[in-house]
Formats: sequence, structure tokens, C-alpha cells
Amino acid sequence: MLRDVSGSLSSLASTSLLSDHCLGADGASPLHPKVIHQPAKARSVIFLFMAGGPSQLETFDPKPLLDKLHGQPRPSQFGEAKYQFVQTDAKLLGTKRRFRKYGESGIEVSDLFPHMSTCIDDLAVIRSCHGDQVVHSAAQYELFSGRTVPGFPSMGSWALFGLGSESDSLPAYIVLPDPLGALEAGQPMYMNGFLPAAYQPTMFRPGDRPVLNLDLPAGVNLQQRQRTLKLIRELNEATLRPGDDELEARLNSYDLAFRMQTRAPEVFDLGHETKETLDLYGVGQQPTDDYGRRCLLARRLVEHGVRFVCVVSGGGPGNMQWDAHKDIEENHLRKASETDQPVAGLLQDLKRRGLLDETLVLWGGEFGRSPEAQGGKGRDHHNLGFTMLMAGGGVKGGQIVGATDEIGLRAVESPHHFRDVHATMLHQLGLDQHKLTYPHLGRDERLTFLEGNVIDEIV
Amino acid sequence: MLQRVVVVNTFFLTCLLAVAIPVNTGALAGQDAAGTPDRLTFENDVVPILQSRCFKCHGETKREAGLDLRRRFTLMSGGDSGSAISPGRPQQSLLLELIDDELMPPENEPQLNEKQIDVLRRWIASGAVIAGKEETPLAADDDMADLVTEKARQHWAFQAVREVRTPDVADVSWVRTPVDAFILAELEQRQWQASSPATRTALIRRLYFDITGLPPEPDEVTAFVNDKSSNAYEEVVDCLLASRHYGERWAQHWLDVVRFAETEGFEYDRHLPDAWRFRDYVIDSLNDDKPFSQFVSEQIAGDEMQPDDPQCHTAAIFHRLGAVRRNAGNPDIALSRNEVLTERTNIIGEAFLGLTVGCARCHNHKLEPITQKDYYRLQAYLASTSEYDIPLASPEDQQAWETRTAEIKADMKKLKSRIVDATGKREAQLQQELRQLSYDLPPHPATIPSIRNDFENRTPIHVLRRGIWEHKGVAVGARPLSVLVSMSEPELAGDATLPKTQLARWLTNDQHPLTPRVIVNRIWQHHFGTGLVRTANDFGTHGDRPSHPELLDWLAGSLVKNDWRLKSVHRLILLSNTYRQRGLSLKSSGTEAAAADPDNRFLRHFSRRRLSGEEIRDAMLAVSGRINLKAHGPSVVTPVDPELTGLLYNPSQWRVTQDTREHDRRSIYLIAKRNLRLPFMEAFDAPALQSSCPLRGASTHAPQALELLNGSFANDMAAAFADRLRRECDGDVDRIVEQAYCLAVGREPTVQERDLSIKFLSEQPLVEFTLAVFNLNEFVYVP
Repeated sequence: MLRDVSGSLSSLASTSLLSDHCLGADGASPLHPKVIHQPAKARSVIFLFMAGGPSQLETFDPKPLLDKLHGQPRPSQFGEAKYQFVQTDAKLLGTKRRFRKYGESGIEVSDLFPHMSTCIDDLAVIRSCHGDQVVHSAAQYELFSGRTVPGFPSMGSWALFGLGSESDSLPAYIVLPDPLGALEAGQPMYMNGFLPAAYQPTMFRPGDRPVLNLDLPAGVNLQQRQRTLKLIRELNEATLRPGDDELEARLNSYDLAFRMQTRAPEVFDLGHETKETLDLYGVGQQPTDDYGRRCLLARRLVEHGVRFVCVVSGGGPGNMQWDAHKDIEENHLRKASETDQPVAGLLQDLKRRGLLDETLVLWGGEFGRSPEAQGGKGRDHHNLGFTMLMAGGGVKGGQIVGATDEIGLRAVESPHHFRDVHATMLHQLGLDQHKLTYPHLGRDERLTFLEGNVIDEIV
Repeated sequence: MLQRVVVVNTFFLTCLLAVAIPVNTGALAGQDAAGTPDRLTFENDVVPILQSRCFKCHGETKREAGLDLRRRFTLMSGGDSGSAISPGRPQQSLLLELIDDELMPPENEPQLNEKQIDVLRRWIASGAVIAGKEETPLAADDDMADLVTEKARQHWAFQAVREVRTPDVADVSWVRTPVDAFILAELEQRQWQASSPATRTALIRRLYFDITGLPPEPDEVTAFVNDKSSNAYEEVVDCLLASRHYGERWAQHWLDVVRFAETEGFEYDRHLPDAWRFRDYVIDSLNDDKPFSQFVSEQIAGDEMQPDDPQCHTAAIFHRLGAVRRNAGNPDIALSRNEVLTERTNIIGEAFLGLTVGCARCHNHKLEPITQKDYYRLQAYLASTSEYDIPLASPEDQQAWETRTAEIKADMKKLKSRIVDATGKREAQLQQELRQLSYDLPPHPATIPSIRNDFENRTPIHVLRRGIWEHKGVAVGARPLSVLVSMSEPELAGDATLPKTQLARWLTNDQHPLTPRVIVNRIWQHHFGTGLVRTANDFGTHGDRPSHPELLDWLAGSLVKNDWRLKSVHRLILLSNTYRQRGLSLKSSGTEAAAADPDNRFLRHFSRRRLSGEEIRDAMLAVSGRINLKAHGPSVVTPVDPELTGLLYNPSQWRVTQDTREHDRRSIYLIAKRNLRLPFMEAFDAPALQSSCPLRGASTHAPQALELLNGSFANDMAAAFADRLRRECDGDVDRIVEQAYCLAVGREPTVQERDLSIKFLSEQPLVEFTLAVFNLNEFVYVP
């Protein structure tokens, strides 16, 4: 998707005759950088969304007891759980993965992640995450917006609403979906909900036109279009009253549009990267090429001031996501091999460029997976206890937060709901969850809904 | 929704290890013997303990920390710190933790003894069971006395609409309709001036977009500008209100409020068969100037009112418009039913009552005098309402559809069974085939996706603790909100045959304090950009206060007197001098008055308005000459980039309408699909289709510019507009520029504009000029 789309456009960027009209000078722009509530540790967020629900039991939360109880029903003292498919008579499923301690912190990581395990000292492993829903769509809404129904703003839109944009030539909130297809919660998951349209995500698309409307229509060249833009400005100025900020802002939005169209393609172009960097992300090799490209693009985007980037792993039918109902081994070996090196590459690359300090990286899915087997070899959805990772952006790595019980069923020690993850993210961005509100249908809504707790151990 | 907070301490960890180890040996297996006679139960063993030590603060009279210990389900739903018990796991039960840590009961109160604590621990460890199958519901809290006070009843919006006299003003010559007297009285009191009238060219453009959502034709502008007769303006207003385009424009406002969409959202985003019939019903009702009371009644109780009238069943599609979560796997029927009832109840509060009733679902309303019981009483009107798709096709067509569908579904089933055994790439390939097969499913035959009463399967309505369906409190019957009726008002009998009719009657009685006020405020809001009450969906004590309370009452009273006919209210507003003032931007009138009244609530001038996405699209279609003004019928699906349908979970749902002329129809006839909104509409602030949208934003951001510069629709329209100008102006550049301005912005170009344009056209293609015209401020703003 990231072939050179800039062509001759980028070389003309510097000739923009409009560049002296700076949008940032106008307070009317909704994306103007804003005053934050508290000192910020992170400037940007990259969310590595492992869609479909990666298993905590095969990845970052080893459970020897589960292996011992393999084939037995769940002992009653572990309590009740509701699954989407698995019935109450299901038998526990041990894991075939092997765990080893890594780094100075000695945190255990499974053999699914030979690359990510080398970054473990940068990662905070939150083993006690939980959510309220056990079906994809509702859980995905909760992961993104803190609410189990669609229509509420996603965390990316909230971040943008709270902070504005630092880029004068790129969209500030970008989603890089998996080219394999859509997810259950669909587009509404990423959207701005009731926040103004300026806080919408820009969905990158597979193929050579990643951003809708960013390239010129067929048969129109840039010089021609520059003349048209000049005409638009002149005709609009002919009727503009002095002091009409609203229409002034509208004229300025054309300048931003023009800058996006000329400069953004250059940022999207991975041709500027060295072979060493491409190799680091696994670009050019299978099966890492696709996710590697998108992770590398994410780095380029935050480097250029993009506020929030979501890089989705998984799309289309369930088994093309981390949704391992049928065969946890086959699914997770495949999904991990696609993403392990790109994620590690991203962390290392951010770090060596000094970007990890200001970029919060979040890794996880909408839920984890059941300790019980589904159909023998698979695992069902499971929302009561699963792992998410955080790195960078002021987060203290190399530590474990919380714990699930002895079979990985339920978060029992320092449980952290999605809203705690949201509260922590906002906190690192310098935003106070209670102050970042927007009135909607009689209430001042916020991302964290019932109020989240910042995960103090890691900030 | 529940937040689980478990306090962690070393004691807890020790316990965890101590208990976890014996699991390996199977030592605990014996404890899992559910149903053994000697098993501890809540009623027999636990209640006596809690009653003696805990109920005082966590029971009948008090709920310290929001915690009620009188039932197992209230222990489960817990208090402010989350669930009090965790069945099977005493170590993770907050109740025991607080007792063990000697935090509860408080130190000056009688303490629990060892034996009692042991019973509690063993009861939780053995699964925390109850004696019978179900617990007895808790008696109702008599909490109305606190909340629904005499003072709360005095809130202005809960008072009957007052008979108001039009106020006296100094400048009587300015008063054209009574509306002006109310506005002028406030201005005079502040010694502010109304603005001069707008020019005739501005007025006609304002009227056309406001009433019909379309631009005036150049000859219509000329005719109005040159018509010096005293009733020229009035004639245009009446003509436009009589035009069927009025309904096509104003229906959108109502569709926004009721969050109209033709699909169910969530994972499957299933299409409701023929939901477009509801859109046509709204358009026709508005065009017919159907009394608003009837319009409300038909939507709420259409199925009960006229069982033989398809129009009424179509109106009742209203109850089907919310997003519905459906998913595969273990069915949670009661949970789903609860979600559906919640959607249906909340929208009645927002759309008709203008109250945030939905906030009282989990607890008494924090801000309004609405109890949780009120909420469930409102829900009880809908207890028997269930989905019902009424077939309209002939039995033969219906049969043919069923047969064909069954054939394809059988093929799909076969394919699915092969997918079960496949993995990796092979599985992906079969999934693709499955998707392909779903494209062959024949379109649904004519249907009304309505509702009906299913009394046999009536959902018993209980007050649900924290809104959780399993946590049933007292059973309730249907009754209006307490604050709006007398305390002694009885609940409707459970076997009442026409429950929704009762609700409709209450909402639409001529004395209702909210229904008429809420709708006249919506009308005012769409004419002026801001409501008299700015929170159009919230007339509660924490909503906005009306800027002109007497005017609001006068309009509401006038609506009811005029048989609830909305066009009568439109006329009062449109014919006023207030409406005819010069249009200005909110921020550009740098006077003292502007500083004191930055939102122009006192209507010192008319507020310029950014067109909605639908209006911009329709105007481009109209100006380019491409518009297809056909009315009614199935929603049109326009082509979108494959990248966009690729973002749908089931891309085959996006079936592009075959007849390309249909693609040029007005925006109200385009499909409203929750999981795929047109990027053009998204950029221009169209609502998310998930919840009620009382008022749209009008933001300005770069993707709008990109849409109008590079978007395929804008460029397509620019080409069509260029063709039209070439055709109509014989290649005469001077005429082309003049005609372009007259068509697109309703006036002739100035000398400066003419010169700039002609110079541009001497070097550049016409299509770039027409594209520039679509990008003019004046094209997307009405004066």
C-alpha cells in the first residue's frame, strides 16, 4: 500500500504559493494545538490493535496449573464465566507454548515472540485487563470508546479533541486497517461519535491511494490545480468582510488541504528508508511485509507530528484475525509470525531515534481467550482477564502489572478495566479524564465513562 | 458496566496461594457438589447474620456506599466499590475482605463472631447459592418523595403552557407577525437594534434552502426581485411550503432526531427490509401537514390505532430504528431484549419529551426529578411490543423469494461445513467464496419492518438494579413520569390491550407541557440555527433556559390551537420581520450588543448558516442540471470506492442501484447505513446515525476542502456543470460567468468577480472554473 504515491507532487511542495497563510495562526481552527491539563509525557500514541482477541495464555501470562488441569472441567472455586460459544461443560486446554524469562526484568514471554521478547524491558505487561463484553462488536466499541454501544467517540478522536494537531500537512488521527478486510464493529469503532467532524479519523486504504481525496483527479496537474486554488481564494476574498473569522478559517482550510496533498505523500513513501531499517521491520520478507510496512509508516507519521495512529492486525473472517476459535496453535503461530518482528522493529526504531520517550505504544485486543477449549483445539472469547502491553511515552517498562488467577480466567490482582487504560493514556498525553468532556444529550461525556484509574505503577 | 475494585494486600495474596495449591490434588472437588441438602443458602444461613449486623446501614432504610445486602443479586451488583461477593472465591469477595480487615462493621457497632464469618466464607466458597430458583424482588423504594418534590414540579417546562399576550413594543411598525413583538420587546428592553432587512436576492436564497433544501432557479430569483407587489414574499413562502420539496427537506430534521437508519449496526449491520418506507412516511406526513399529535401517535402506537392501515404500521417502524446487537453463539435472549427496550425507551424521552430519561435507567436521575421507577414505568408501555415484518408481496412472490433464499442458504451451509475443516489460506479462500455466494441472495420482497403487541410473550418489567437485567427489583406497570402527573396516578393494568395508545394519548393531549414546546422549539432552531431552548433534546432542570419563554409558550399554544399543524408555525416565523433581517456571521458583528450576546440569542440579526452535507450535494446536483427529482421509493445505493466497501464486514450488503439516473437523486433518498456513511456526508457533519441528533455541527476542516476539490462527486458535478454552461451559453465566456454565478449563488457576479473569472477562463479549462464555483464560501453558506 505504500508504494511511492507522491510522484512529482512532492517535489512541488515547496513552491506552494499558499504557504504564507498559516492555519495555525487562526484560533478558529478546531485542530489548533491546545492547552493541556497537566505536564505531558507523551506526544503521540501508536495503538497496535491485535483484533479478534489474542490469548493471554499463549503470549504473556504463563499458567502451569492450566497445563496440569488440561482436559478437566474448571474447578468451581475459579468462579463463573460466560463465553460466546463454549458451554459450561467444556474442558480446560493447556498451552503448547513454552515460556522463558527475558531481559533484566526477567519477565516471561512465550516462544511466539522471539523478537518482542528482546524488548521486554521497555514493556509494561498488564496481565489484569478486563472488559464487559464477550462478543467482538460490543467489546471493540468498549476498547475504543469506553462504551459497549456505537456512537461514542474513539480514544483517537478524544486525543485529537484534547490536544489538537501538531502537523500542518497531515491528518492527525490515522487508522491503518488490515487489508484483509473489516472488523465486526466496523467503521463506527474508530469514529468521532458526537465530537465535531474535525476529529474524525482518516482511514488509510489498501492500494496506492492510501488517503481518500488526497490525489488529484485524473487529467488534472498540480500547476493547473494551483491556479484553481488561487482563483478560489481571490473570488472568496472578493466578498470577504474584514474580521469574518469563520470564513477566514474556511479559506485557511484550503491551504491545509493543499499542503496535505503535496507533502503527505512524501511521508507515506517508505522509499526514503534505508535497507537496514526496512529489514528491521521485516519489510520485503514474508509473512512480515504487510504489518512491517504499516508499523514503519506509523513511525514516520508520529515523527511528523501525527497524534494517534492505529495499526490493525487482523481483518475479514475470524481466523484472519486473532480470533482462534478453531485452532489456537495454527492461528496464533501465524498471527504472531506476521507481527512479532514488525512490533519489535517499531519499538527499537522509535527508541534509537529518541521517539519512544514521547510516543506511547499500546498493544492488545478487545479481549483475551478462554482457558477452556472450544472444539478441542481452539479457544473462545474471554473478557474477564487478559493482557495488554504499554511502552514508551513515559511508561516504565520491564514490569508486570496485576495478575489473573491460576488458570488465567479472571483478573484477580489489580484488575484494570479498559477505562484504566484510557485514563492512563490520557494522563501520559497531559490530559485529565475529568476535564476532557463534551456535552451530549444532557451529559458531559468523557472517554472513561464511569471514571478510570490511572495505572500508577507504570507512570 | 460494573467496576470491579478489589483491594489487594499481602493477606489476599497469601490466601490465594494457600487455596490454589490444593486444587492440584483435587481436594476441593467435594465442595462443588451443588444441590446437596446441607449446602448453605442465602435465605437460611446468610440473611440472619447480615440482618443482625449489616442491614441497618445496608438495607431497608440506608444504602451506605450504594450497597444493599438484602438479596444475593444486590450483593452481586454491589455498591460503589463493585461487587460484594465473588461466588466460589471467598478470597476475592470484598464483603469478607472488609470483615477480615476489621473495617466492617464499624468499630462502635456489634461485630460478627468467628462462627458467623465462617458461615459467610463457606457460603461464598460453595457457590453463594439461594434456596429457591428465584429471589423475591425487593419492595419499591419510596424514593419519589426525595426527588419529585413540589419545587421540582415547578420547573418551567413541567408547567402547563401559559396563555400569553403579545407584548407591547415602542416600534409597532416593525411588528409583522406576533413573533416580532416578542423579539422586539427584548431588544428594546436592552436598547438594542434589530438589523435592516436582507436584500431580496439574499432572502429568496434563504427561503429556498430553509424550506426546500434546494437553491432557487435564476428566473425564480429574478421574478421575486422584480415583484413589487406587497404580498410577493408571502406568496413565495406559501408556494414553498406547499412544494413537496418542503417535506423532503424537513423530514431530514426529524430523521436525525429519531436516529433513522436502515440497518441495525453492530457486527452484522443487517438491513431492515424496506425501512425506507418510514422515510417516505415522514416526508408525506410533513407535506400533508398532518397534525403533529397524529404524527406522534402513529409512530408510537400505529399498530394499535389502525390495524388495517399500512401507513400506521409504517409509522410504527419508529420502534425498529435503533441499533440492534445480534450475535452468534450462546444466546442471551433476556439481555438482548433489555437492550432493545432500552433503545426504544430512551428515544421516546429524547424525541418527544425532550428529556434525558435514559439517564435514569441504572439509578435515579442524578440531575432531573426522574426516578428509576419512572424510567421502567415508561418502558412498561413497550413490554409487549415485538418485532413484526409485515409482508406486502403477493404470496407467490413471497414463496419464490423464500425458495430461492433457501437454496442459496443451503449452498452456504454446505460451504460453511467445509470451512470448519479448513485452515489458513484455504479457509480464507472458502470464506471468500461464501461471501461471493451471499451476493446472490435475492432482495427481500416488499415488507413493512414494523412491530406489534405480543401479549403472550410480554416482558415483565422490573426496576433493574444498575440497569442489569438479571438484577430485578420491584415489578412495575406503565405510567407517565411522576413529575408530570399526580402522585396518585395509577399504573396501567398489565393486561391493558392498547398500552402504546395510552402513552400516545398522554403525549399528545392538548395540555401536555412538553410535546408542543419541544416541537416548536425544534422548528425555531432549524429556521434560526439556534433554538429558543438551545438544548433541543433536554428541557429538564439542567437543560438550557429559554431565551424567550413567553414566545415559546405562545408558539406552543398557537400550534395546539391550529390543530397541531406545523405549517402554521412555519408561517408565523417565516413571515416575521425577525426572519427577514440581514444575515451576518456570529463573529463578525463587532458591536457592544455582540459582545453581550455572542450567540445572537436575541436575534439582533439573522445568523448565516453553513449548508448541511445533504444540501450541498443536492445544490451541486441542481446547479449542474443533473438532479433527478423523483420522489419516494427504495433507497438509492450509490457507487463508492471498493476500498470503502472493503471496510464493511459484509461487502455484499452494498448493492449499488443499477439505474444510474437514480444516483443523482436527492440525498434524503440515499441509503442510511450505519456502518458505511458516505465520506462526503461524514466530512460535512452528518450525524453518526447511532443516537438522536438534535442539532448538527457545522465544523470547518481540511477534509471538506479535499472533498470539494478532489472528490469524485465534486469533479463529476463540475464536469456536468461545465457541460450545462457550454450548452446554455453557446461558448460565450461573459455569459458563462454570469450564468454560473446566477445558478450557483443566486446573483450576478460583481465586476471584480467577472474580471477574475474571465481572465482565468482565458487560460484554464471551464471545468476548473465550475469546480472553483462549488468551492465558493457563498455556495456553501446561506446569507
